[in-house]
Parts: sequence; structure tokens; C-alpha cells
Amino acid sequence: MSTYRADELQGIIKINPEICKGCDSCKSFCPTDAINGAYGATHEIDGEKCLQCGQCLVNCPFGAIEDMADAVPAVKKKLADKETTVVATVAPAVRVALGEEFGIEPGKLLTEEMYGALKQAGFKIMDVNFAADNTIMEEGTELVEKIKKYVLGEPSEHELGPLPQFTSCCPAWVRYMELYHPKLTKHLSSAKSPQGMAGPVAKIYGATEVWHTEPENIYCVGVYPCTAKKYEASRPEFTSAADYWKKRGHTATYQDTDVVLTTRDLARLLKDLNIDLKKVEPITESDNPLAEYSGAGTIFGNTGGVMEAALRTAYFVLTGEELQELNFMPVRGLEAVKSAAVPLKLKDGREIELKVAVVHGTKNVEPLIQEIEAGKSPYHFIEVMNCPGGCVNGGGQPINPMGTSWTSGFKAIMPWN
Amino acid sequence: MKYDYVEKAITVTRREFIGMLGIAAAMLWTGAFAVTDLVADRNKYIRMRTAGLYKDDEKQAVRQSHNNKSLMKMYETWAGKPMGHLAEELFHTRYYDRTVL
Repeated sequence: MSTYRADELQGIIKINPEICKGCDSCKSFCPTDAINGAYGATHEIDGEKCLQCGQCLVNCPFGAIEDMADAVPAVKKKLADKETTVVATVAPAVRVALGEEFGIEPGKLLTEEMYGALKQAGFKIMDVNFAADNTIMEEGTELVEKIKKYVLGEPSEHELGPLPQFTSCCPAWVRYMELYHPKLTKHLSSAKSPQGMAGPVAKIYGATEVWHTEPENIYCVGVYPCTAKKYEASRPEFTSAADYWKKRGHTATYQDTDVVLTTRDLARLLKDLNIDLKKVEPITESDNPLAEYSGAGTIFGNTGGVMEAALRTAYFVLTGEELQELNFMPVRGLEAVKSAAVPLKLKDGREIELKVAVVHGTKNVEPLIQEIEAGKSPYHFIEVMNCPGGCVNGGGQPINPMGTSWTSGFKAIMPWN
Repeated sequence: MKYDYVEKAITVTRREFIGMLGIAAAMLWTGAFAVTDLVADRNKYIRMRTAGLYKDDEKQAVRQSHNNKSLMKMYETWAGKPMGHLAEELFHTRYYDRTVL
């Protein structure tokens, strides 16, 4: 029995048996216990159980785990082709980690340098932060509609799932729900992830309004801190742009996002093209509407960020005024499960309390799921990100020697390195 | 007597013994510090990247999604309303039961 549909990318994460020492480190990071093999023996990943999140990859002390879906050669070929408009859609967490591959400290914000490097490589730019704002508009509206229907008892014209609403931005988390709790997928927000929205926006709105080209000429390259995004991009229903254009006389079939590069992949591509992030000329892209973003869009890469962004908009829609204190501290930080209650004074004077929870590390979500199954969940909105810390620590990020891979930290100071 | 055995007198003085204890304790202390330091720093790079994104948030003139002017223009001129007809078609999806594929 397969847990993949036809054409879905699988087997992205693989353990190299030549290098694996059987140390069991990866097992402690796997959210679904998908890694088989006795202590000391070569380990193997069970692809049917695997979420493709890549946490084992970034935490392997021996660098034995590999990302098998390499799109760098394909992107290079498209960049060389003058007929194609190659659009890079870049996720929030990439800009604070890409520098690490070029010897810059972790966490250094390099948005302009990253734009500069992408432009030099020949990409057109769309910021996924714009799509994140788009996601908040859709997901936030859905939450507000559900609150109106289930909490305030007002009728809704939309078809809505039940409360609590789960976020749907994280592809590994969505796969986890589809695979382990298929009966509860109605709790997932029906809004696509920012990647799911970035593709149609680039190939429809971007094609006509920004780059003035035919949608067939656009090659959409997602740049994400994530290996599971490679799998998500291949989901067969993510062809909204092609379906839209087919209704308008076009015939071609293509995915919304053609290929996905991880942060590591992008660094490799840039190095391949002799572009050094340290020396590149920073640009602002201020005249590009698809690179405009709000602060709410950029914190999507942190655990609690989607929640914080959604609260800022939901608060405004429900109460009619802007949130005074924008930094919402209860959802920040690295605690496994964070929860908060936000008092709201509605436009008509009624008062309600919005109860939210934030989870990172998919294993930590089980108690909350059991609450829902028992019908006792106190929450309205729950954010889940598969990777500890959120996308900033995604499986596609640079492998940091400060992490659990302590042998590489040791190796780095050895004279023969 | 045939098996008379006298144990050697202890040649470590009280002061030397205390000194040796001190050295042993210092070595254990250093080792424990190095290990706890490694564990404490394990998440440091995650915290640094997190701080980077919060800094980007504070840097922005606009900090709420509904105030993103280009996005609102896109809704007005093309996509309609959030959860509207076109938005449902392009920005919403459905989920699959992967246990029965």
C-alpha cells in the first residue's frame, strides 16, 4: 500500500548506508518513527511513514543523510534559456540562514543581498512573504467566519470545517494529518500553504501585471528552508494556474511551482555561478509589487509566527481596530506547546475570548489531537509546525555545526580542515 | 613468623590528598561544564535565526497582512475578496486520506 498518489515526489530523504554508523541520533528527531535499523546497524527510512521533513538530515552527526531531489541542474538550464522567465519565490526563513553557507553568522538578515544575488543569477523575484500575507487573508478570513458561525451563532455563506482550526502551511504537518489522523483533516484550514498561493499568483497575476509574459514561459522556482516543500509542490491538485488558463483558451499543463530548491540548494547554485553573497550588490525591489510584504508575512518562518500574523488581522477584522501591542509574546519562544487567550471586544460590544495554541515538533501535537477526538479541545486556532523552532530550523536549512552535529564543530577547529 | 606482612605506610600527606581531590573535582567540573555548554548552545543558531526574522518584522513600515498595499491592490483588481469565488478556486484546497490510497 502506498501513501503517495501518482506523480507525487517520494524518497526525497535517504540514508547513505556507506556513511551511516547506526548511532540512532536520527531516530530521536523523526516525528513518525519512520527510521528502521538496530543500534549499530545501518539505518533505513520507511518512505511510507516518512513526512519528508528532513529533520534527521540536518541533525545527523555524520552527515550520512542525503536530499535526493536535486533541481539545481534543471534550474541552471532554465536560467541559461533566454525564452524563459525564471521566477524565484523565496520563503521568509531563507533570508536569515542563506548567509551561513557563505561564512556569515546565523540569523543575519540578508534580504537585499539575497535579492541582489538572485537578480545576478538571472531570476525574477517574488517574495513568499507576499504569499504569506495572502495566506493570512484567506486563513484569517476562514477563522473569522468560523468564529462568527460557531461562537457568535451568525449564519455563514461559506462551507466551513469545524473548530479548532489547524494551520495548513507546513507540508510535513499536512502529510502527518492525512496519514495518521485522516478523520481530522476537516480541522485543517482549507487555505493552501504560501507555496500553494505563490504559484498561481506568479503565473497569473505576475504574468499579466508584473512580467508581461505568457504563463507558459514562466518557470517558477520555489526556494524554501524545507525538503517537504519539494513533495508538496508535486501534489497533483497544485495546478491551479494551468487550470485557470485552460478555461481561458490555453492548453499547456504544468505545476504551480515547477521545482523547489532548499536554502542549501540555492547556496550551491549561487556558488556554481560564482556569485558570492558577501560581495553581491544589495537591491531593494521596491518597484516590484510581488516583493512587497508586511512584518506579519516575514515572521511565518518562526514558531508562533503564523499565529501572531493571523491574530493581528483577525483582531482588526473582529474588533474594527488595530492591535495596539503588535509583539505578542505568549506565542514566541521555544517551549513545545504554547497557549494564550486573547480577549476581543467585538464591534457590537460583545466580548469573547479567542483561545489559541502553538505547537512545534509534530510529536508534541498528539495530546491536543486527543483533546479534539474527545471533544474537549478548548482552542479555536492551533498552529503546528513540524520542525522544532519552525521553518528557521527546517530540513532544508544550512547544516549548522552549533547544532547536535557536534562532531562537525570539533572537526572545524582541526588543523587538517 | 613465616607470613608476617606489614603494609607500606601511606606516603600521601593530608594536604596532598586534599590537593588531589581538588584537581579531580576541577577536571570533573570542566567536563560537566563543556557538556552542559554544548547542550545549552544546541539551539543557539535556531534562536539567532528566529531573532533575525523578528528584526525584519520590526523593520517593516507595515506590520499587518491586511495593510499590504500591493496585496490589497491584487484583490481589488483581480482576485476579488478573500474566500470569494476566484480565491476559493486558486487559494484553497482539499485534503486526502492517505491510509486508503
